Amino acid sequence: MSSVAKRIDARAPIFDPRRDPSGLASITRILTCGSVDDGKSTLIGRLLWEIAELPEDQREHVREASRGRPFPDFSLLVDGLVDERAQGITIDVAWRYFDTRERRYVLIDSPGHETYTRNMASGASHADMALLLVDARKGVRQQTRRHAAILDLVGVRHVLVAVNKMDLVGWSEEVFAAIAKDIRDTLGTFAFESVEIIPLSALTGDNVVTAGETSLWYGGPTLVEAIARVETRLEEKRSADTSGSSGFRFPVQLVLRDGADFRGLAGTVRSGSVEVGDEVIDALSGAVARVSAISQMGGDLDVATTGSAVVLRLDRDLDIARGAVLSKPTDRPIVAGAATLRLIWLQTAPPGDAGYIVRTSTDATPVCRLAIRRRLDFASLVEANASTCGVNDLVTADITFVRPVALDPFAASAATGAVLLVDRLSGAVAAAGVVLAAHETATRPDLELTEALLREGLCSDLGTDETSRNELRRRSREVERLFARAGLHVRNTIA
Amino acid sequence: MTSVLTHLDVLEAESIHIFREAAAQFRKPVLLYSIGKDSTVLLHLARKAFWPARLPFSLFHVDTGWKFREMIAFRDAQVRHYGLDLIVQTNRSDAARHVDPFSSAPSVYTSVMKTDALKQGLDAHRFDAAFGGARRDEEASRAKERVFSVRGPGHTWDPRRQRPELWHLLDGTVGPQETVRIFPLSNWTERDIWRYIRREQLEIVPLYMAAPRPTYERDGKLFVADDDRLPEPYRSRVVTRSVRFRTLGCWPLTAAVESAAQDLDAVVAETLAARASERQGRMIDHDQSGAMERKKQEGYF
Repeated sequence: MSSVAKRIDARAPIFDPRRDPSGLASITRILTCGSVDDGKSTLIGRLLWEIAELPEDQREHVREASRGRPFPDFSLLVDGLVDERAQGITIDVAWRYFDTRERRYVLIDSPGHETYTRNMASGASHADMALLLVDARKGVRQQTRRHAAILDLVGVRHVLVAVNKMDLVGWSEEVFAAIAKDIRDTLGTFAFESVEIIPLSALTGDNVVTAGETSLWYGGPTLVEAIARVETRLEEKRSADTSGSSGFRFPVQLVLRDGADFRGLAGTVRSGSVEVGDEVIDALSGAVARVSAISQMGGDLDVATTGSAVVLRLDRDLDIARGAVLSKPTDRPIVAGAATLRLIWLQTAPPGDAGYIVRTSTDATPVCRLAIRRRLDFASLVEANASTCGVNDLVTADITFVRPVALDPFAASAATGAVLLVDRLSGAVAAAGVVLAAHETATRPDLELTEALLREGLCSDLGTDETSRNELRRRSREVERLFARAGLHVRNTIA
Repeated sequence: MTSVLTHLDVLEAESIHIFREAAAQFRKPVLLYSIGKDSTVLLHLARKAFWPARLPFSLFHVDTGWKFREMIAFRDAQVRHYGLDLIVQTNRSDAARHVDPFSSAPSVYTSVMKTDALKQGLDAHRFDAAFGGARRDEEASRAKERVFSVRGPGHTWDPRRQRPELWHLLDGTVGPQETVRIFPLSNWTERDIWRYIRREQLEIVPLYMAAPRPTYERDGKLFVADDDRLPEPYRSRVVTRSVRFRTLGCWPLTAAVESAAQDLDAVVAETLAARASERQGRMIDHDQSGAMERKKQEGYF
């Protein structure tokens, strides 16, 4: 046996071509966020140390450099931080990749400072879950609320809150309980599917992988257990998606031709699945055809599932171009002339009348009119009426398009419910947003939500003091959200 | 029947999506082809993205005149085999006559022979976008790179002016004199590249596999003498050793590693158990701190 083979055997192979011919089982993308001094590098480093297949020389480096300290300096594993600071680019999201035996992890590490909120939003939109750090000595801050609001907007549905540096508050159950309540109050404003709040210490490692003796009062999962729980939920969702329980969406990117015989529609299945023989419709033109083949270089498929990049061939020649979204005839996207969006404003210039292009999954259409309606106040997490906004603001806006585009509410289909607003003159991305409701034409709303209407029943228990008014606003937004999920357009007139 | 996508399937589909978006949005893109393993995967993914149609763009190779002969032979064979359009660009300016990989500082050599040649070619052909095989896992400044990376006039990269890039929405709208570098392999790691080469049974330059080769030592690293331009004192110190390369470039500047891995499986096994980062073998990256950052700002890939 060669020395190389021996070495690999001794380490227990992380890659065995016979067992693992085509790669790891899946990818988990985790956004990490929190303020600079919340101990993010140490926690990421600790996580790498505990679960990643790290080269032995990196472990040795940490051990060497940490000699004489009570705990190893795990932040050394988070490469290049000092360098980055010298280069002046800590402002941006850093992508890190590591493998465990079964899985690829992508850590999307976002900058802490509020000036760079837009970069945080950019990174968060790619994440399956977020790891939000809170310093046990400081508790929830404005930054925590801001991050939660952005996670909610871009569609992160699972949040793990690490209440870090518990060792510095003597592992006090009372301190943790108070912070946890604040966090629940803050995150409860949004529609997260799961929230796990974990008291831990990245430095000592308690509750990162294993529970320590220090927090016997805490009965919840460790950080790594909590990540695994979310992964299980995500996998269930993915397999439900793949088995066709959600609507088939195929945004057409290109029409590919090869001689006179081959004409195919190239794109990626964004949700659901499609089989040869299925009837599909282009909602924009109303044209219907059957799938005659699902092609890829190397061979045709019988079925294409969520995430597959394929070429669909149809049984008749339809005039379908880039921008079309194919679906099943019974469950099609909305052919929208207008939409209500939640936007994060990304450029320094406020909304103007120079003009924007709206980019959807594969379509791009000039914007007719953009009207900002409400702006989120990060301190109270309450939206107030507004007609303009600035960089990093979260707003609700009404938008009308020059010509109809195929859209879905974001809550129903993320890939066909997300848009960019591109500045027509500079080409810069002015805003990114999600569709709350898409309207077939620019008509009036399905429901005009007024204070009087709410006080008739849902809010008949509320008075007129400030606390009651805030609760009324909260309920009105909740009603709006529920209606939006059902595809109905609500005009919320409550300030 | 439902199929479960592995992580390589996910990465492949993402890269194909990127290629197709770019082809739809840009007027005249080009694929930067450097013959190495990443370029091999890049080309394969491009062919998949547009199959059965022909590639809707050319390949562009910056040839410094110091590439391994086996690389050039491999390049030409690939071009013939797949019926590709290839543009070869070499810097023939006055500056280029005064640099060579043995006497010039590696940073100067790279700047003149690679970065300048690249910019000359991109300008001459008026390409508005160029695909590259860079990966975010390669280096700290690349870890922050976008998939569609906008370059200002003169191909400069300003890390502070990077565009937001959300969800699957790639936007190729550019302002006057701006161009875009596109990185379809952004989310791949070195391990993925090797796994994928193995899975797809891709042909790669034989230099990646160990063989007895004429080697010499320089600055504590092993190099291979590829032709008779090797100067003294190295020339008389050439010794045959079994070596292979983890990355490929100009032969006087690309270090080899001693290895017995003679076939793809052995190379993959060795790579996946590797203890040192891949670019360690490249002199140009270690020339000065923040080297990649600086090169990128000048317009290097």
